[in-house]
Amino acid sequence: MSQLTPLFMDEFAGFPLKRALGQVVKRRENGARVVGAYCSYAPVELIWAMGGVPAILCAFSNTPIAKAEETLPANLCPLIKSSFGFIELKTCPFFELTDAVVGETTCDGKKKMFELIEKHRPLYVMDLPQCPANEGAVEYWKHSVTGFKKFLEAEFNTTITDNSLEESIQASNAKNSLVEEIFAFGSHKPSVITWQEMYDVATYAMVSHGGETIAKLREIIATLTERREKGIFTSTEHAKRVLITGCPVGGDVLKVLKLVDEEGATIVGLDSCTGLKPFVGRIQEGSGDPLLAIAKRYLEIPCACMTPNTGRTDALKKQVTLLKPDLVIDLVLQSCHTYNIEAVKVESFVRNGLGTNYLKVVTDFSAQDLGQLKTRIGAALEMD
Amino acid sequence: MDAETHEVVDRFQAETSIDLAAQLRLIKENYCWDTLISTGYGRHLSQKVLGGETVTEIKAYTTSAHHFHGDIETVIDLGGQDTKALLINRHTGRLLKFEMNDKCSAGTGKFFEMMAATLGLGLNELVAAALKGNSSLEINSTCTVFAESEVISLLTTGISVEDIARAIHESLLKKLVSLLSKMMTADSSSILFVGGGAKNSALVAFLSDAIDKKVIVPEYPDFFGAYGAALLSKKTLNQNMEMK
Repeated sequence: MSQLTPLFMDEFAGFPLKRALGQVVKRRENGARVVGAYCSYAPVELIWAMGGVPAILCAFSNTPIAKAEETLPANLCPLIKSSFGFIELKTCPFFELTDAVVGETTCDGKKKMFELIEKHRPLYVMDLPQCPANEGAVEYWKHSVTGFKKFLEAEFNTTITDNSLEESIQASNAKNSLVEEIFAFGSHKPSVITWQEMYDVATYAMVSHGGETIAKLREIIATLTERREKGIFTSTEHAKRVLITGCPVGGDVLKVLKLVDEEGATIVGLDSCTGLKPFVGRIQEGSGDPLLAIAKRYLEIPCACMTPNTGRTDALKKQVTLLKPDLVIDLVLQSCHTYNIEAVKVESFVRNGLGTNYLKVVTDFSAQDLGQLKTRIGAALEMD
Repeated sequence: MDAETHEVVDRFQAETSIDLAAQLRLIKENYCWDTLISTGYGRHLSQKVLGGETVTEIKAYTTSAHHFHGDIETVIDLGGQDTKALLINRHTGRLLKFEMNDKCSAGTGKFFEMMAATLGLGLNELVAAALKGNSSLEINSTCTVFAESEVISLLTTGISVEDIARAIHESLLKKLVSLLSKMMTADSSSILFVGGGAKNSALVAFLSDAIDKKVIVPEYPDFFGAYGAALLSKKTLNQNMEMK
């Protein structure tokens, strides 16, 4: 492992969020407006098109939760509590940098939390249709996308032209296909990329755009190709392979991923919104209606808030076929009802449809269940 | 355990103290072995002090269940801090899936300990009282802490200790049945009940009634995981022999 060339040669090794913060600060200093976003449904192409930069506001730290629970109920998703607590404490560096915030109605908790933070920043909430296959769903969602465009134009006294949107779409497509290419290195056995590196790449790509980003991602692909060709591996030959799916992960909930490492297994894929999910699929280029093209692509994101969420099983099938995991861990954040209930179908699909072992883990950002999680994950990896 | 005959030569148990490492060092001084595998929540600390390998109690239970009760498919373990249900392929001995209780202490042995303390009874007295009690009463709180205040308020209304003791058992039973429901097949006529909780005769009888299956309890249910670890360590022993 000592001969590994790091994918990022900078001072942020092990601190992907600080690296992302650096990216946002740099653009802000050059005059870009910062628009905070809470999930993958936020169409960042609109932000890039007006010369802005997105900042991801979902938080994964246990620290601000006590503060949040002064206002919010305790039996709420830890991601919502953490994000809200940071805002109350004024200690979220990303939120402090934002000039405006966009929210999406992905779940009841977030939706109502947005009402509590709108006093802090100009806020636009995009109403997300939750039956994406129903007639008129895309058109309805396009209204939300258009509304967001108008909000940005009014808030920042600017015009987002179709041409700038088209450029932004092309840049996103180029970036996203490179990120997908990087995640596909997870298929190699033994592994040539760690989950920390996948997380680094996803976090970086979320707030980066344009030529410099494309060059960086290509450089990463070259490094990974070199590892593969020279046989420089990040796991042992017979390490059990794990795919992580479910709710977004980061910060304190990375405890689950670290436990997988401790058991000597290798994580070969991160399927969630802090992994590959936001980078899959392309926006149609040159469609003549860039807002509709954007709406179509974003409504294809397979989040558990959708019903039926057929895209999730399609994506899992592709990932399992490519990455050949021995175990799929479905990570559900406490009180995330949609992912928790969808787990029933996901378990059946993974076990019976894909013939792969499956473990559901319901957890929060605290360390209270470490012992039990270690036993669960250890036992699931012992199974043959 | 004797590696040839699988006879248990010696067994001993001690309550977990705040200095587990010192307890483990005592074992090192007083016992000798050819091979050893640690299991349970303290397995990694035990490995540090005593050497050898580690295995989760889930694999250990699977191994001993299949070895000692080859026709068993479903195992339930009621331990001090968690409860597990296992589904095993009876032909191959392979673990097919497992479930564990939520991270809180509701539905574990700890629940009994706390409820007994609330009623001012020893564990055996609680069990004896439950056998005499009526099952008409229900404790609704799923959380141990809330259940405690519910029990206190029941006491203040003058309900008998026996009925409350029965309700405490019924409350835990509900959790065991729900955990088991995902781990039983229609054609298995019996399940294996292990862990310290299986020593509770009232609970064993109530469980058997509730799931309408025979509930088998091994002679030393609280050692059953350790036996599984011992059986697994035989593999290491054989490998060591080959090396020689």
